[in-house]
Amino acid sequence: MGKMNKTVGLIKKSAMLGIVTALTFSLAACGGSSSKSATNSNSPVKIIVTNSKGEIDAQFKQAAKDFMKVNPKINVEVDTQAVGDTLGVYDKLTASGKTVTLAMFDPYAALHKYKDVGIDLSNDKWNAETNDALKNSDGKVIGFPFAVEGMGLVYNQKVLDKAVGGTFDPYSINTQDKLKDLLNKIKASGVKYPVAYQTEAWSVGNHYSSLFLDQESDPNTILDKLKSGSLDLTQNAAWNGYYDTLNLLTSKDYNKFGDRPLGQYYDAAHVAVGKGDSAILFNGDWAFDSLHAIAGDTFGFMPVPVDNNPDNALNNKIAVGPTQVFVINKKATKAEQAAAKKFLNWLVYDKTGQDFVVNKGQIISAFKNNPNKVNNPLGIAISNAIAKGATMPFSTNYINAGDWPTTIGPDVQKYIAKQESRAQLAKVFEDYYKSHQE
Amino acid sequence: MKNRKKSLANWGNSFLFLGPTTIFFAITVLIPFVYGVYLTLNKMDTPTDPMVFSGLLNYVNAVQDTQFWSSLWLTIKFVIATVFLVNLVGFGLAYLVTSGIKIQNSMRTAYFTPNLIGGLLLGYIWQFVFVQTLPAFGEKFGIEWLKLGWLGDPHMSFWALVLVTIWQTSGYMMIIFIAGLISIPKDLIEAATIDGAGPFRRLVSVTLPLMVPSFVVTIFLSLKNAFMVYDLNFSLTKGGPYNSTEMVSMHVVNKAFVQANYGTGQAEAIILFIIVAVVTGIQVYSSKKMEVEA
Amino acid sequence: MSTRRIVTSTFAYVISIIAFVAFIFPFFLLIINSFKSNGEILSSPFSMPTHWSFAHFVDVIEKMNFLVTFKNTFVITTISTLLIVFFSSMTAYHLVRKPTRYNKIFFTILVASMVIPFQSLMIPLIYIYGAKLQLIDSMPIPLLIIFYIGFGSALSIFIFHGFIKSIPVEIEEAARIDGCNTLQTFFIIVLPMLKPITVTIAILNVLWIWNDYLLPSLILNTEDVYTMPVQMKVFNGTYMNNWELLIPAIFLTVLPILIMYIIGQKSIINGVMQGSIK
Repeated sequence: MGKMNKTVGLIKKSAMLGIVTALTFSLAACGGSSSKSATNSNSPVKIIVTNSKGEIDAQFKQAAKDFMKVNPKINVEVDTQAVGDTLGVYDKLTASGKTVTLAMFDPYAALHKYKDVGIDLSNDKWNAETNDALKNSDGKVIGFPFAVEGMGLVYNQKVLDKAVGGTFDPYSINTQDKLKDLLNKIKASGVKYPVAYQTEAWSVGNHYSSLFLDQESDPNTILDKLKSGSLDLTQNAAWNGYYDTLNLLTSKDYNKFGDRPLGQYYDAAHVAVGKGDSAILFNGDWAFDSLHAIAGDTFGFMPVPVDNNPDNALNNKIAVGPTQVFVINKKATKAEQAAAKKFLNWLVYDKTGQDFVVNKGQIISAFKNNPNKVNNPLGIAISNAIAKGATMPFSTNYINAGDWPTTIGPDVQKYIAKQESRAQLAKVFEDYYKSHQE
Repeated sequence: MKNRKKSLANWGNSFLFLGPTTIFFAITVLIPFVYGVYLTLNKMDTPTDPMVFSGLLNYVNAVQDTQFWSSLWLTIKFVIATVFLVNLVGFGLAYLVTSGIKIQNSMRTAYFTPNLIGGLLLGYIWQFVFVQTLPAFGEKFGIEWLKLGWLGDPHMSFWALVLVTIWQTSGYMMIIFIAGLISIPKDLIEAATIDGAGPFRRLVSVTLPLMVPSFVVTIFLSLKNAFMVYDLNFSLTKGGPYNSTEMVSMHVVNKAFVQANYGTGQAEAIILFIIVAVVTGIQVYSSKKMEVEA
Repeated sequence: MSTRRIVTSTFAYVISIIAFVAFIFPFFLLIINSFKSNGEILSSPFSMPTHWSFAHFVDVIEKMNFLVTFKNTFVITTISTLLIVFFSSMTAYHLVRKPTRYNKIFFTILVASMVIPFQSLMIPLIYIYGAKLQLIDSMPIPLLIIFYIGFGSALSIFIFHGFIKSIPVEIEEAARIDGCNTLQTFFIIVLPMLKPITVTIAILNVLWIWNDYLLPSLILNTEDVYTMPVQMKVFNGTYMNNWELLIPAIFLTVLPILIMYIIGQKSIINGVMQGSIK
């Protein structure tokens, strides 16, 4: 029994220890420390920057370090959004009581969901170097354009060169008939399925299905008509044109996944075009890594033709625009706002900052004074389109990118799977905008 | 006097045995849950919006959200399919690896490995299987229905989710069953054998009744997992094709965080909680009764 | 009789080997793809690597800040699991042996709490402990451990509850006559008998906490306190994943639990053998 008592004593002690720990924890829970009070003029200013481009997390953190080296009074903390995170990094930090100084949003979110976040940046110096600054409805600049991206039909240069017998020129395909002809040539050259069409809701919805907004030079014109109910999509040539082309691209004759066009084909499609098993897919320049993973070949973009008029602008242009903008938070202190502005200027004017955006991050800069050029083929293709003036607005920026994948995207999928008619699809668009007037 | 001392000791014991758990539980679950219910009474588009009291508006919106109810109905079908199959396979595996065959230890480890890999990666691995491997297999052997990926068809996508769930969770249930099976006194089984009971008879009349505590746990867990399924849904089908496999948790998450309708999403989560609590409550209550009888 | 035996056992072998192949293959994929490049992973996920390269492991160990994140994950997982097992076995014992009305209600609340959708607690948790009490900044790791105990207790109590019920009260009564108080009875008599289920519960908790992403991703905001699953986000891109690093990273994360599980299994079996010798 003596041994037993010893054990019991030990157990009692450890039980006590557990309870004491528990109490300490719960007492500490009432304390509430004050790590936020360090804002006197001599101590460094701390700014929190959010980054929604997960693929450049490491480069971004390195850039923050480089910036701090030349600005020792400023401490930059970078928080990157992880893919699949339920809660956005901005919402998470804000809900946990922090003030994000410099927030990266997509333009639609910056103008709608987060429209009250930003300060007026209209008088900032960098406005002189860009045409892509994001303006709100009052005409004030609220967003600093961080990344310019584009989307269209991605093609494998080697396969197309072989099909056309020479160097393929993407801008030569400016009618639907020419596209069809091209697909037949690719088939004739020995590629069984020229197209690998991936049908994720964000791709067929947010990206492909917003392109028709570009039929007017300001996409909002079409949106306003939709909202007022005065646009009959079944009678709209451009809207119909895009779905005629989609029929072609997803048809059993040409599409690798034609027999069952829906499914999770993102990787499979990129692997196919990357390897040259197929030649064409629809996506944006961000997809380069997914292709590069397979081979060192070259790739480019061609416009999506909507009719047989070679002079139709839609047939000759690629949708390009700023897809991520920085917003400076109103709620940050004046010192923090000043530090954030310094960081933005550093991105535009400093050599290291310019190098980070374009060379390290492989991001197309929205600023004319940035001398660097991205060196991945899809990025180069977009840069060339910009230089050529063959661009139209990035239509996805005008739609609610949060809603579309669960509202319009699924119906486009149904349309592709022939579960829904063109007229029904038109009604889905019209109904959506009747009930979403914001 | 003696009574008083005894009740004091009882209080002391209760505090010692229940105190820490109660404190941690209150900090982590109870207080946030009550606050979460309070949030549903406010109009909030994003979780960081200022709160504007709106009464039961969010609940009215939730009840009128037809997609919420159709995703719940789909989830119920999923629950029925997986609860039955997961327990069947899990128990089968446990029975197999405690039956005394020589390779049982390595088998135990093998059956358990799907649990080691988180739901997100599992989804991606199975995407390879459904999108690339099975079609390649179908191509090779001319099996028409295998040729194209499963994930493009609403029915096959649903069964893909069921299949992966069985594969992923039956190993987990297996280890709970193992703990139950090896706690059964050997002499009971021996006695039954001496009485002339065959293996099947032993299973039905000796083993299964003694396994009720394990089944209470595993059925509860598989019910709960199936109702709450999110990771796998997100990584394998993303709710597609055309929202046909969007389960209720995914719908709630989309509503609250993607479509910027936080208040309504939160209210839908509370409704979901009530429904699942009632279902599992009935299950636990009725099977705990069986436990007492057994 | 003996032929029948052979037939049944052959049948058992065949079934278990088929199941073996079905269950092991993702793990097998994880291993072989840890040695491949992105391109190879995507184009031929099921074939052997063309050459076995450890370069990605070296890269991953550096990019994941492996020593720090491993230490964090280890500390959080072991402390949380030990405390969960310790407190919940005590609570479950008390709830089984003292089924008062209050205790029954408490047990019901615990069970019901397990079906609260976690997504509905995310905002309240970070609002109360971040914005209001500032604990997310000042003590992230202890806070996370508290949360794990809070979230994990219910299931552990629930499982213990069923198993403690099956222990005959008579043994405890005998101990009590020998002069043991409740605490002594629990730790000396009851807990040893619960060994198989205790180890099982520990394994289930380790498994959950070690791999958990959502909760730590809300609480841990600086890299020095990241756990391995949280740090893994450096391998995710917006539209594509960096598979050639993500897969070895997952492999390295999973390995410790696999080892622990194998050891744990032994200990369950030993526990039972000891019981039967007595």
